[in-house]
Amino acid sequence: MAFLRRREKAAFEGDGLVLFADVQAALKAERVLKRAGHAISLVAPPPRLRKGCDLAVAINLVEQPGIERLFEEKDVYYVAIVPLNEECSELLDIVQVTDFGNWVMVKVGNMKLSFDKGSGVIVNTSGGGCPDIPVMHAEMIGKKLDEAPKPKEIGFTLCSLMLHRALEECLRLWQGSERQ
Amino acid sequence: MMLIAGTVPDKDMPLTVGEIGFDGDYLAVGGHRFPCMQGTGAMVSAALAVTAYLKLNRPTVVVAGDVGEGKGSRAIYEYIIQNVKSLAPRVLALHYWLPDMALTRRLCEAVEKCDERPIMIADAASMYSAKAAGMAPRFDVFTPDATEMAFLADPAATHPAYIARHLFDTDITKTPQLVDIAYRNKNAPKVLLVKGAIDYIVRDGKILETVSEPNVPALEAIGGTGDTITGLVAALVYAGLELQEAAIVAAKANRMAGKFANPTPATKVVEIIRQFPAVFREYLCEWSEVCRTRGGESE
Repeated sequence: MAFLRRREKAAFEGDGLVLFADVQAALKAERVLKRAGHAISLVAPPPRLRKGCDLAVAINLVEQPGIERLFEEKDVYYVAIVPLNEECSELLDIVQVTDFGNWVMVKVGNMKLSFDKGSGVIVNTSGGGCPDIPVMHAEMIGKKLDEAPKPKEIGFTLCSLMLHRALEECLRLWQGSERQ
Repeated sequence: MMLIAGTVPDKDMPLTVGEIGFDGDYLAVGGHRFPCMQGTGAMVSAALAVTAYLKLNRPTVVVAGDVGEGKGSRAIYEYIIQNVKSLAPRVLALHYWLPDMALTRRLCEAVEKCDERPIMIADAASMYSAKAAGMAPRFDVFTPDATEMAFLADPAATHPAYIARHLFDTDITKTPQLVDIAYRNKNAPKVLLVKGAIDYIVRDGKILETVSEPNVPALEAIGGTGDTITGLVAALVYAGLELQEAAIVAAKANRMAGKFANPTPATKVVEIIRQFPAVFREYLCEWSEVCRTRGGESE
């Protein structure tokens, strides 16, 4: 019977969890995220991840930076964002530096940023595969390291977070070399 | 038909489907234009270089604007899920988008319902979502770089930003171990082309060939030079090459185009792409029979 047929709800498979101190904060986060168009679901956190209340929001972990920025804008207080899989608990922070003579390439995680040693101008970004990465590529190239837009402020994904860390490392290297 | 799907960095571009071509330095489809730069643009441009040279039909693309918020990505997933059976592509190449495990799973299920299963190629975040969803064995080719190879080898990771340190903290010479782990965990497709200082071409866990010449270190710094490899592989498979042969020729052609361009880390990927016709003229017949016996379908 048609009137009894329920529309099948699209399943959501989150690989990250936002943890909260109280239920109200979790419910507010759910409202804010849904209004912004994020695919999410309210879940009970596994015991090992309980840090406050027994309600958490499952998210697509790759969207972590955009979600953190949204929470800040909307005054949503949360305890932590963590990967659901306990075996991957920390973001990669390994930095690799390659000297190309007039240029330096810094690699953090899957992202690379190259700049001109003399001028501090960003000449290339590479790596990654999320949709905000070509945006960063277009916005950052040709700008000085200390004047370029910050990936953490304009990006939405973990790829942009890795690029942000690469930018920070490039700035540290460049400003260190300027002082010498 | 070769169908290429991916996002473009233009928030206002709606879901657009059609045969793609060049319009000056831009790519044009359905009245919209987007630049030939890192991402789907570089990938499509390399595929077009092959189809133009071999006089094959141009790729059909499913593209949508997305700056990271995911709306355009979800429109692409849904379009493919709804239409892949009727489109019946021979090659389906997936590229930049917001990884979504549930939608990737639905897409793979839709592909299984095709009368003839397309050859499935993934790179960038479509490769991330395929692996994270446990769908890697349903794909024919992935084209990871060394870091992404560590991601495929990490059974727990759903994004390369969260891979285990001991896997990441390796160099390209450790790639064979990572390949072995990825296949044992069923997180790899039939063929892998691992891009790096040494390119590894792997089939069903066995390393068939390595490519390391010409060595052009600056290519690693140039955004889009990995994307071009994926576009070359997709188009060469479409031209009729075996998966592994397409991967080997793509690796060689990308390096040679790099050599021809004499790049620095400041070079743009479009300058590499412009070299492909010259590379094909000089080397394609030496590397493959495809230049003589065009394997593309007649449509």
